[in-house]
Amino acid sequence: MNKPRDKERLTGVAAADARFAERAKEQFDGSVDRLDAAALSRLNRARHAALDELRQPSSVGQWVRWMPATGIAAAVLITVMVMRGPRDIELIVEPVAVTDFELLLDNESLEMLEDLEFYSWLDAADLDTYGNVG
Amino acid sequence: MSACAGVFAVSCIREQATGAETLQRESQLNQFLAEVERRALRIAEIGIRDRDEAMDLVQDAMIKLVKNYAARPQGEWAPLFYRILQNGVRDWHRRRKVRNHIMVWFGRGSSNDDDDYDFVAQAPDPAGRSPDEELQIDEAMQQLEIAVRALPTRQREAFMLRTFEGFDVAGTAVAMGCSAGSVKTHYSRAVHALRDKLGEHWQ
Repeated sequence: MNKPRDKERLTGVAAADARFAERAKEQFDGSVDRLDAAALSRLNRARHAALDELRQPSSVGQWVRWMPATGIAAAVLITVMVMRGPRDIELIVEPVAVTDFELLLDNESLEMLEDLEFYSWLDAADLDTYGNVG
Repeated sequence: MSACAGVFAVSCIREQATGAETLQRESQLNQFLAEVERRALRIAEIGIRDRDEAMDLVQDAMIKLVKNYAARPQGEWAPLFYRILQNGVRDWHRRRKVRNHIMVWFGRGSSNDDDDYDFVAQAPDPAGRSPDEELQIDEAMQQLEIAVRALPTRQREAFMLRTFEGFDVAGTAVAMGCSAGSVKTHYSRAVHALRDKLGEHWQ
């Protein structure tokens, strides 16, 4: 029984809300139109300052843009190096001092140091051609 | 060598294409920002009652939109822009609240200003309007501004975006970062609260 009346009331409320919103919008638009010249000028400057950001390319963007060219250049360089082969690559000869140093740091060398007495005795003793102590 | 030259040529063509796209995008952004900037300033100003600060917030929102979302479809710019702006307004209130608490801690503020809106409302008009300008402003708009400012944050955002900026429910939801249902609830409550408050002035 009350349903049509409720519906009418709700429709009335919604219509009043809509009228209120419309009036509020009119008031707001009026206040926007009344903005002074100084505010408009500042807004204009702010907008152009923001758009300047668009003209400055990001560093990531720059990298991405040049990535294909860089990749192909690197591939060409590697191909050339492979084709020329290792002829031009100089053999790297390690200095003797470095080799000796590595020998000293070797595990076996450490064992030798532990049995120093044995090795000094071995050195003092005479060995025959078959390796027997004479 | 010819491969390198080809790649360079492709890069140059792509560069030109990108330049043209940038110019077009810049023109579209310029048009969009010119359309929204004045309403955005007023919305921010109603939110924080300080034109200079509102201007800074609008400029920050413009820069963030251009830097982070220029490549997004044009239709998304408006809700994204207002989302950035609303976040800025919220951050501004948060900072103000923290500052007020610190002032209270050092005994320089009143102890009962928990609501930052009351504190701001009591401040002198920092927009620096002359008496003549004040007279020009419609009394109804002043009443509306005061009433809108007194609304809870989410209701205020929903009301301003729906009514002042003309967003639909979906657009408002994107701008506020919430569901469409929440927007409807906040908006409905805001309108009823404002009608109750402004009834005598607006009926």
